[in-house]
Amino acid sequence: MSAPTANQRKECWGARDKLWKCLDDNRDNTSCEKFQKEFEVSCPAQWVKYFNKRRDFLKYKERMEKEGFEPAEGPKQSQS
Amino acid sequence: MPYHHHHLEEVYCRLCLERRMLGLVGGSDFNIVLGRLQRYVLKSSATRLTNSTHNFQRAQLSSQTTLYRHNTSTHKTGPLTHPQQTFWRSSCPLSLPLITQRALLSHGSNTSTAKIKLRTRLAVTLLFGGSILSAWWYMHNEKEQEHRRQRIEQLKQVAVGQGDFSLLDHRGHRRTKKDFLGSWVLLYFGFTHCPDICPDELDKLSAVVATLDKDPSLPAVQPLFVTVDPERDDVASLEKYVKDFHPRLIGLTGTPEEVKMAGKDFRVYASPGPKDDDGDYIVDHTILIYLVSPDGLFLDYYNRMKNDVQIAESIRNHMKNYVKLPN
Repeated sequence: MSAPTANQRKECWGARDKLWKCLDDNRDNTSCEKFQKEFEVSCPAQWVKYFNKRRDFLKYKERMEKEGFEPAEGPKQSQS
Repeated sequence: MPYHHHHLEEVYCRLCLERRMLGLVGGSDFNIVLGRLQRYVLKSSATRLTNSTHNFQRAQLSSQTTLYRHNTSTHKTGPLTHPQQTFWRSSCPLSLPLITQRALLSHGSNTSTAKIKLRTRLAVTLLFGGSILSAWWYMHNEKEQEHRRQRIEQLKQVAVGQGDFSLLDHRGHRRTKKDFLGSWVLLYFGFTHCPDICPDELDKLSAVVATLDKDPSLPAVQPLFVTVDPERDDVASLEKYVKDFHPRLIGLTGTPEEVKMAGKDFRVYASPGPKDDDGDYIVDHTILIYLVSPDGLFLDYYNRMKNDVQIAESIRNHMKNYVKLPN
């Protein structure tokens, strides 16, 4: 099977963006079923897997940036 | 009350004197000061200050060492031999009314000589500073040239992109590295089934080339796209793929061995992932844009973080500083 053309790529990315926006707006993923289906139709299977992994990574990164990561605190500066 | 006024004035001027004395370095200057003080006392006597205390001061001084009338104009050293001979007196603000006609006149001529001296001093300083700056500038440029030469030597030792490659372009013509010598080359390794990164990077690459094309003083850059997925990316696939990007973009493919050689030359990492039911897979690979000089020497690389403006700027700099390698 040949690679997606430029238009097919754009379609896939559009569907992905819509899905991700829906997931961002609604915390519960069940309301995004429609977008999920559209996404899986527009994109090759490998890309679906890839983009899902990508989204997980981006969410993880966001969590790290906001809360998760706590740098080790050095010795506190004494106020003299 | 007049008494207090004069007293304060005297105290203040004595402080001025003390300040001057503290600034002195030699014993001989003391005489100058003393001479000046004498003059001050004598002058002040000509004013309306006829307070008893003041007269007492004057009497005291005159009874001390003989009047040391010092022609201070002959002395050219020390803080007190400032062109404005009597300026110390005028620096006591309260003593302003004590400045005599003579003092004013001398003050006037001193400012003009002071101005001339200032001008010459400024000119000398500027010349001096200017020559120092230009010397520094020259040294700086020499150092930069030397750095560039050293860098080129280092790059040659790193030996990236030193080997030859032999591949087929997207029109089916055989191309080797020699074909591209003489042009600046921007090289990217990817594959056509790439979900998002390769199209993004190739868009970026096209934007860079388009930006550089706008400048007629710069040589044309040759963009190249080499596949890391020779199994699927044949000539036809590449042809379909590259036409979505810059018109000069050339896609290159070949047998797995040929492609591997080219990749190895640029230390490109490429690893096909697991195949799914369709037989589709994603190739994990190094995401870098390589800059190669007209001599075929690898000069620089750009990762995902660099945008098209930064890359174009960097290439422009490389072109400007390009030193042709001795053959």
